[in-house]
Parts: sequence; structure tokens; C-alpha cells
Amino acid sequence: MLQLKGRVNSSNVMKALWVLDEIGLEYEREDIGGAFGKNHEAPYLGLNPNGRIPTIIDGDLVLWESNSIVRYLAATHSAGVLWPTDASARARCEMWMDWQLTELVHGMVPVFHGLIRKSPEERDMDAIDAARDDWAGKWRILDDHLSRNAYIGGDSFTMADIPIGPLAYRWYELPIEREAFTHLKRWYDLICARPAFRKHCMTGLS
Amino acid sequence: MLKILGRATSSNVQKVVWLCEELNIAYERTDIGGPFGGNRDAGYLALNPNGIVPTVDDDGFVLWESNTIVRYLAEKHGKGTEFWPEDLQARASASRWMDWALSILAPRHVPVFQGLIRTAEADRDYDKIAAARDLWSAANGVLESWLADHEFLSGDTFGLGDIPASPFTYRWFTLDIEREEFPQLKRWHDTVAARPAFRKHVIDIGLS
Repeated sequence: MLQLKGRVNSSNVMKALWVLDEIGLEYEREDIGGAFGKNHEAPYLGLNPNGRIPTIIDGDLVLWESNSIVRYLAATHSAGVLWPTDASARARCEMWMDWQLTELVHGMVPVFHGLIRKSPEERDMDAIDAARDDWAGKWRILDDHLSRNAYIGGDSFTMADIPIGPLAYRWYELPIEREAFTHLKRWYDLICARPAFRKHCMTGLS
Repeated sequence: MLKILGRATSSNVQKVVWLCEELNIAYERTDIGGPFGGNRDAGYLALNPNGIVPTVDDDGFVLWESNTIVRYLAEKHGKGTEFWPEDLQARASASRWMDWALSILAPRHVPVFQGLIRTAEADRDYDKIAAARDLWSAANGVLESWLADHEFLSGDTFGLGDIPASPFTYRWFTLDIEREEFPQLKRWHDTVAARPAFRKHVIDIGLS
């Protein structure tokens, strides 16, 4: 059976949990990282030298980097649905998955860590406000894209929606100022209607 | 013909032109970004709302994000070569190093490269550069541990997974910085640097 290593409150682990549930694949999960530790101990570092989560083990393959995990599981279990078989349609999905890594996540980290994982005394509100503004600029780009596309990858729900979903939940749940972004909200409502997203990604902020 | 928009000194543009050279893909490249500007003009932003390079236009199909471009072109032109393994596990394993180069390696190298190459000496924050260098070195330690067990990042042969990290490793070995001994990283980099297409599009461009 496929093994998944990582604590459930990590947005990167959520991507793997969500895609596994969308494709209906059974797995065993072990809590690693955060309060559970073990991610900087030798057995885990032997699987993933970064000491980060998640990591999956699928037969002979030990794989980390959450977006690569999503692509791999979608390719092996959901070709033609979550993983478009047409190369151009798939590239359009992968472009936004990479964008989540290169652009969207950077605004989120100081806001989320600052407001949720730090005590009020430790918070640097100026840094949080500046990061929020940067983050909002990225959502504006996605809002514009979603004014012309039902889902991130195009007309239907695909793997492209998965890396961005857990970050959208944080955007809508954190106690921050939010621009209207009506197209983003329309898409987010569609995502929130998916049972697998509700189960794994709408689980509070911690 | 494939159009590539982006200046030749960008490591992200280099990934794309390097792959094109490896696979004999004909292209036309236009200088955009950095000293050439143009990346904040409405025409460019309509193609790529992020205002960064590269963007490609493949007979009307517009795509950005350099790693995605590399995968797209490798699939279209490199089926049956080491750049597009048919085995999904091999492709996923190579792809993880592409993601890793985006999520870990690139952000750690940026303050060092920008600080030393694109900032005037009087304006440099050497403490910040030194702290970033330490983080970059730790990331290179991750490459070192993998390369102790694998010939290449892609596995037994050079391939897709080796492309995104290589321009950064060239910078690591070329910048005027303290360097730990990473013998496996050095071995791997020397093998990559021997490829004529890498020499042409990365080494001969130099640091600027």
C-alpha cells in the first residue's frame, strides 16, 4: 500500500491527501514534522534529505516535492481526468502548479506563520502587512485568469487546482484584509463543494 | 517557429535555450527583462501577467514558468530520448528535482547572486549575503547526498531533472564566495559543464 509521511496540517501534505482522496487510492499515513518531529532524524533523512514533508513511498519509488507527488499520482491514476493527456492542456496545468511554488507561496508564508504559528508578542505586523499586500497581488493575477476559466487548468477540475486550494483556504480564513476578487471566490466555492477538499484542507488553521 | 521571450543572462531563460539546443529545436529569441526592459509593458503582461521571463509562444500557444516550458518542449520534441522518459516513475523522480530547484535552490541563491553581481559594491549587504550563502550551501549538501548514490539528478543518465539546478551550480562554482568541498557536486557539475549546449548558453554567457 502507498505510504504517505507528513502531518496533516501542512499545506503541502494536504495536496497529497486531497489528490489521493480524489482518485480513491488507499494509503497509510505517518505523522512526521512540526510537533511530531522525526523529520530531521536519520531514517527520514534517508528517504528525503531535505527533512521536509511530505514524502510518499509507492513500490520502489520514494518521492518528495508535493507538486511532483500530485503530478505523479494524477498521471498514474487519473490520466484523462486530473492529468490531461493532451500535452498543451497539461502544460497549462503545470504552469500554474509551478506558479504556486514560485509566486503564490511566498506571500502566504510570512502571513500564515506570523499570525498562526507565532505568539502575539513575536509578531512583526509590518512584515505581515507587506507580505499580505504581495500575496494579494498574486491572487489578483489568478482572479484575472479565473475570469476566463472555470477552473485553474481550464474547463474542468484538474491537478492544477490542487496545489492552490489549501492556500486559498488560508487566504479566506486568516484574519486579514481581503480584496473582493469575485472570480477567485467563485472558483473557491466550487472547490469547497468537493468532499475531499472539505475533509483534508478545510480543517482549521494550525 | 518557437518564439522565446527573455534575456540570455536569466537562468530561467537559459534552461529553455539549453534544452532547445540539446534537442535541435529551432527558435527565435527576443531580449526582454533586466537592462532590456519590456517585461512590464502591457503587451508582455498580456502574455505573462507576472512580468518575468521567459515566456514562449509556440505557434500561438503561450506558456510561461521555465520548468513547465522545459517539460512541454521535452515531451513534444524529445520522446524516446533521455529528456522524456516513458516510465512515469523515472519522470516523477526527475521532475522532483525540477520542483526542488524552484522551491529551495533558486530562492536561496538569489540574495547571493543579486548581491554580488547585480548590486553595486557600496550597496551590498554582506551579512545578508553570507547568511544566504550558508543556506545555499545547505541546499548543495542535499544535492551532494543524492549524487553520492546517483550518477545524475535524473538517475543513471543525464536528463530533464538535471537542467534547472545546473545554472545555479555554475554560479556556485563561479561566484567569489567561500565553498565547502562537495566532491560529488563537483563531479556532476563537471559532467554537465562538458555538454556543448550548456557551455554555449550558460558558461559562455558568464555572470551578469
